[in-house]
Amino acid sequence: MADFVQLVILGLLAGGVYVAVGVGFGLVWGVLNIVNLAHGALVIIGGYITWQLFSELHLDPFLTLPVDAVALFVLGYALQRGVINRIIRAPLLFTFLLTFGVNLVIVNILLMIFGSDFRSVTPSYSGQGLELGSIVIPYVRLASLAAAILLAAGLAFVLNRTRTGLAIQAISSDRDAAQLVGIDLRHAYAVTFGLGAACAGVAGGLIAMIQAITPTAGEPYTLQAFVVVILGGLGRVSATVVGGLAFGLVEAFGQSIPGSGSVFANAIAFGLMVLVLVTRPQGLMGRLR
Amino acid sequence: MKLCRLALLAVAAVAALACGGTGSSGPATGSTITLGAPLGLTGALTKESLLTQQGYSLWSDWINARGGILVNGVKHPVVIKYYDDTSNANQSAVLMQKLITEDKANFLLGPYGSAATATDAAIAEQNQIPMVEANGAAQSIFNQGYKYTFGVLSPANRYLQGVIDMAATLNPKPTTVAMLSADDNFSLEVANAINTYAPTKGMNVVLFKKYKNGATNLSAEVQAAKAVNADIVLNSGHLQEAIAINKAAKEQKLNAKIFAYSVGPSTPDFITALGKDADYVYDGSQWTPQVKYTPAFYLSVAQYVAAYKAKYPGLGDPDYHVAESTAACLALQRAIENAGSLDPKKVRDALAALDVTVFFGQIKFDSRGINIYKPMVVEQIQNGVHHTVFPANVADAQPQYPTPNWDQR
Repeated sequence: MADFVQLVILGLLAGGVYVAVGVGFGLVWGVLNIVNLAHGALVIIGGYITWQLFSELHLDPFLTLPVDAVALFVLGYALQRGVINRIIRAPLLFTFLLTFGVNLVIVNILLMIFGSDFRSVTPSYSGQGLELGSIVIPYVRLASLAAAILLAAGLAFVLNRTRTGLAIQAISSDRDAAQLVGIDLRHAYAVTFGLGAACAGVAGGLIAMIQAITPTAGEPYTLQAFVVVILGGLGRVSATVVGGLAFGLVEAFGQSIPGSGSVFANAIAFGLMVLVLVTRPQGLMGRLR
Repeated sequence: MKLCRLALLAVAAVAALACGGTGSSGPATGSTITLGAPLGLTGALTKESLLTQQGYSLWSDWINARGGILVNGVKHPVVIKYYDDTSNANQSAVLMQKLITEDKANFLLGPYGSAATATDAAIAEQNQIPMVEANGAAQSIFNQGYKYTFGVLSPANRYLQGVIDMAATLNPKPTTVAMLSADDNFSLEVANAINTYAPTKGMNVVLFKKYKNGATNLSAEVQAAKAVNADIVLNSGHLQEAIAINKAAKEQKLNAKIFAYSVGPSTPDFITALGKDADYVYDGSQWTPQVKYTPAFYLSVAQYVAAYKAKYPGLGDPDYHVAESTAACLALQRAIENAGSLDPKKVRDALAALDVTVFFGQIKFDSRGINIYKPMVVEQIQNGVHHTVFPANVADAQPQYPTPNWDQR
């Protein structure tokens, strides 16, 4: 029983990272209709900023998360205005090509700056945890989950309670009507992409504390973000939170199957994704349009 | 005008004499030998591929400073032609073929990793050009009946056997083993060998778990190892996974007497990424800067370490990827010298007959082309420094055993 509870806890804690990675990806996909293949690379930029601030200035990694968010927002805004905006109404394949190219460029720039060494942020409290009988709750992972939920809540607040957020939502539901009522499309698009990148940056900061990063370490996260967003359902931040936590749980239970079970953890997660697509195409929490 | 011509002739004659004079006092310079090596200079295997390249370059600098490889009294300078295979095994094979057909490579050096080595070995075989490799240890490469692929490193099944041998000498003797293995060919060979080897030393493998190669979240695997409470926790995988397991072990309070990981702890990254938490971790290593071998040629171990630090300052000691890569070049060099020819078939036969000890250890190939004669050593990280702890005759420190519990560190 304790093992089961521990597994649920570990799954939910791992889900925190997937939530953080998923919300930004889902926002960009939902509003701009761009499946951003460079999302993982943006995540890793955030990871390197946290690592740099931690190793050079000895800043607590959680305090660097706002820095990640601001830096990546600026980068995302510029990237959208300068590059992505050119294909905003192009067929999906072009968005794949362009964002894949951006991904390659970012990864190789990171390789030039940081090399391919493995970097990890290891604060003094890393590895410590709350012990409840035989159950352990690692502090860093718990705080990461909290940070991810806060991030999602913050994003939901921006989208639902601010003028810019409402403009973004308006574009998401009807681009032409939004333009007719005077919303500056180019600015709103760039802000959306910037917000998505900012979320990626925070996710990267969390990932740098949990695993070792290299310039290529972001690639699996692009794929996971894709699954998380489909699981939860496109178009709502809360849906992505559910999707992320569900993905963490599925992964943990997949891995705990004796023998070679963990080899199939991904297959199980993707199988679940297909199942969701077949039975609830709007996702576990999504709304039908 | 005539005078001018005469003067020119005279100058030419003197020059010719001068050349002949120097030529007779040392070997003449022959054609350049081109070696081909596809490496993952970008992509997931960049780190290890760059270490491989460092090992190759250290040797090519050294041999070219001596004028080249001596073949029948003629010195042939060496050029190593590299291509970036983007850490993709199929791409590696394509580039290997390009090196042979377009760049006219005389001989081949291996890529990084068992997967790329396996695809490249097929190309070497088709073209009947010898490939000496140092970074593909999976025996599946050598069980194909290939005649042109030679690996200087100990095969995969030896990687963690040294840890078991060492554990058998410790007191209190550990008796249970939990094995977490990645699902690629190489890692599974390492892990399966322990499955059959540990019982012969009186140890039971109480957990054998496979995970997806490249996994970053291994908390459920670590939880499974904690549930069986094994004395020895082994990982057969890669650097990234070794770091993930060590982090999760601390977070989830998985305590064991021995933590040993096949690949990872020997690289400086493992210590910089984990800090103090890297202490007490063991790994099986092809080579360490502390080993004591008497080389027949090239540098001694100490000279090799010094040469590495001079060429690559600030990187610390060379790790075994660098050393084994240099050793591959040395094997090829000695085989070319022994063959007295640049003919691929003759050099291939000379490789098959090679038996020489260098700073890396004994290089000798079995009938399949893999070096089963050199032992693996066991390293332990003690206070942030790598020490060789087994076998005793090459060790520079005692194992710190047992590993203290996480909350007592």
